[in-house]
Amino acid sequence: MDLVKVEEILFIATVISYLVSGAIYIWFLITRSQQALKLGTMLLFLGLLAHTAALILRWVSSGHAPMANLYESLSLFGWGIVLFFLIAQRFYPVQAAGAIVVPTAFLITSIAFIFYTGPEPLVPALQSYWLWIHVTIAMLSYGLFALAFGAGFFYIVQEYLLKKNYRNVLYSFVLLLGTLGFVLGLWAGSWLTDPAKVMDPLTQEVSNQYAASDYLKIIGGSIVGLVIGLGLGFAAGKGASKAGFAKRLPSLDVLDEVSYRGIAFGFPLLTIGIITGAIWADQAWGTWWSWDPKETWSLITWLFYGGYLHTRLTMGWRGRHSAIIAVIGLIMVLITYLGVNLFLSGLHSYTPAG
Amino acid sequence: MSSEEPEAITDTAIANKDFYGKSASDFLILLIITVTMLVLDAVLSFAYYRSNQTTDLRWLLAFLDLTVILCFYSAFGGRVKHMLLSMKLAVTLLFVTLILSVIGTILPQGELVATSGWPRNPLYGLYSSIGLFDMYRSRWFLAILYLLGFNLGFCIIDRFPTTLRRALRPRIDVKDIFVRKCPTAATIEGEGERGLPVAKEIISGHRYHLRTSDSGAALAQKGRWSGLASICFHLSFLLIGVGAIITGTLGYKEKIDVPDGKSAPVPHTDLRVTNHEFTIETAPVMEGDRIVGYRPSVYSSDLELTQDDQSLERKTITVNDPLRYSSSNWLLTLIISNKVSLHQSSYYQSNTGYVTVLEERYQPGKSLIYIGFFMTMGGISFSIYCPHRRIWIKVGESGELLLGGRSNRSKVTFQKDFERIVAELRLTLGKQEAT
Repeated sequence: MDLVKVEEILFIATVISYLVSGAIYIWFLITRSQQALKLGTMLLFLGLLAHTAALILRWVSSGHAPMANLYESLSLFGWGIVLFFLIAQRFYPVQAAGAIVVPTAFLITSIAFIFYTGPEPLVPALQSYWLWIHVTIAMLSYGLFALAFGAGFFYIVQEYLLKKNYRNVLYSFVLLLGTLGFVLGLWAGSWLTDPAKVMDPLTQEVSNQYAASDYLKIIGGSIVGLVIGLGLGFAAGKGASKAGFAKRLPSLDVLDEVSYRGIAFGFPLLTIGIITGAIWADQAWGTWWSWDPKETWSLITWLFYGGYLHTRLTMGWRGRHSAIIAVIGLIMVLITYLGVNLFLSGLHSYTPAG
Repeated sequence: MSSEEPEAITDTAIANKDFYGKSASDFLILLIITVTMLVLDAVLSFAYYRSNQTTDLRWLLAFLDLTVILCFYSAFGGRVKHMLLSMKLAVTLLFVTLILSVIGTILPQGELVATSGWPRNPLYGLYSSIGLFDMYRSRWFLAILYLLGFNLGFCIIDRFPTTLRRALRPRIDVKDIFVRKCPTAATIEGEGERGLPVAKEIISGHRYHLRTSDSGAALAQKGRWSGLASICFHLSFLLIGVGAIITGTLGYKEKIDVPDGKSAPVPHTDLRVTNHEFTIETAPVMEGDRIVGYRPSVYSSDLELTQDDQSLERKTITVNDPLRYSSSNWLLTLIISNKVSLHQSSYYQSNTGYVTVLEERYQPGKSLIYIGFFMTMGGISFSIYCPHRRIWIKVGESGELLLGGRSNRSKVTFQKDFERIVAELRLTLGKQEAT
């Protein structure tokens, strides 16, 4: 039996089980049915088992830790989120958060599937024990920033709910899901394109040449994504615009604290991630900092969260301001993690070294 | 570094005082300094751009630029020290660096400009003249980094005495009002003398470290090195900065082309490097069970360093495993970082065979940078994961038991901890109704 085929099937099963489980968790949030919760947890656990098996198979067939390309790294990220959530749910009453966490895990694994590539040997530049140290620490920090983002977003929603400003609750959801839908549509659209490879006769550099139909796919994809996102956002916003929903969300203080702790615990990890990257770069290229786009964007993210900590700890900012910063922070993280790999070239772009 | 302490008021008072007086002679002296710096800056810049720029003086010039600006600012009534001590400046500079870095990733930098479409753009001349295409090395960008460094240094000097005292000799005997005004505080009426030893015992039970004064008042602490760790974290950037300046000014980076089986001189040294064999190992790229192609998996070069035909070191280098050589012993190497490293950079094929491209690197500031790295990682982890929590316990003037707590991070968690302690205390003292 072909290991790679099995792995692919297991991964598809994982994505589907996360999707169904996410839907059940949302159903649980609305109805509070304990049976739904049991079913959702069971499915999520089965999904995690399939996911673990897929990752192990990938490790065996490629011969290195699954961190070498976007598919592997996103898959691992989704795996970490589900694992952490199941552990947290075992010990703390955080079941309701599953309505956000599990769909997020579904989203991440499905994006991973978009970038699916077969197992490949590591390019020479990545053959170092620093790979897994650097990647694991960076991923952990991203996960914590995502947590801070979630808490920050619900802080803003909760504040509007308490003020009975339902219009802004609706706007918050529409803005969030609309943006998400647009970006995902853009990705899906550009994934469907099939650009011609053109070589510059002077510099010998290969670049993509897009035809009109490709642009149509990109624009069409983003419009479809935007419409779906706006629709979902509208539905979620309408559903949340009830006085009762405020009681289901944690209190403002708790949301503020969770958001702060996510960033406070993620920041040292991001710092260590950047520095282990610098030490690795020094070993490989003899330059610990070369202003490559990924490095620069991680620095930008780091400066941003550093600013957050300073405004909070020494200037006393709190509540809404901090929540907004936590929300914007995740945009920086996403640009660092995904945007740079996809849109800017550099040492981290995961393109096969020529 | 928290500024909520009542003790910090004195620091602000100092900060608000003028750095320079306003008398005419002071102004004259300042003006003379300013003009001297300006002339020095101009002469050095002129000499630098006229010369063939063998030594990189950018860092020095940027430093002079900043001093000139600060002197001007001061001469015309600006309070330099006040400015450099402010946290607002720090946050603003972080934000400015952030925006500039974003611009730097959008516009192509350095060698990448030539292959981009930018040289044909009408704005190219303007952008290029202000250094937007080589921003990270431009004088004004370095000057901003210097300003950030000064800001950081002043803030560290300002906070250091308070932080040190807080860690080593904290005040245990405080006034009643201080304990009452703590962000988390509790009063247990009429139980002062009886409650004090019980409170001490309970708090020790929660793994707080207890210090008692002669009057019986006590301070219970956790993570008292947090503040110093934060200073260590901030200080590390100055070390890394100094290391980067030393490397940027005195260090170098050279490409050496060594054909297979030949040798080449190592620039800036009297060494020669021989490339005994360059090898590329490949691994098959599979699509299902089918091999669709091969991809390089290892590049390695068997190198030998020689001095006057005498072999010094031989090593097979790969991309992540360079050859490092130092002529002195390891201790001296550690201090002045006189190590030269040869990295596997790339290769090309000539008509006689493969040619390895090595990158020779000399980084004299490396030790400082690495010390800085470890201080950054240790400092931030310690500072955030072990927050400084303090609880003062004392008997108040009218015989009540006073408890007051402060934490420099995650106040909600500390509050819960504090409430648990107080609840336990009330339970032990038989006063549960108050909770």
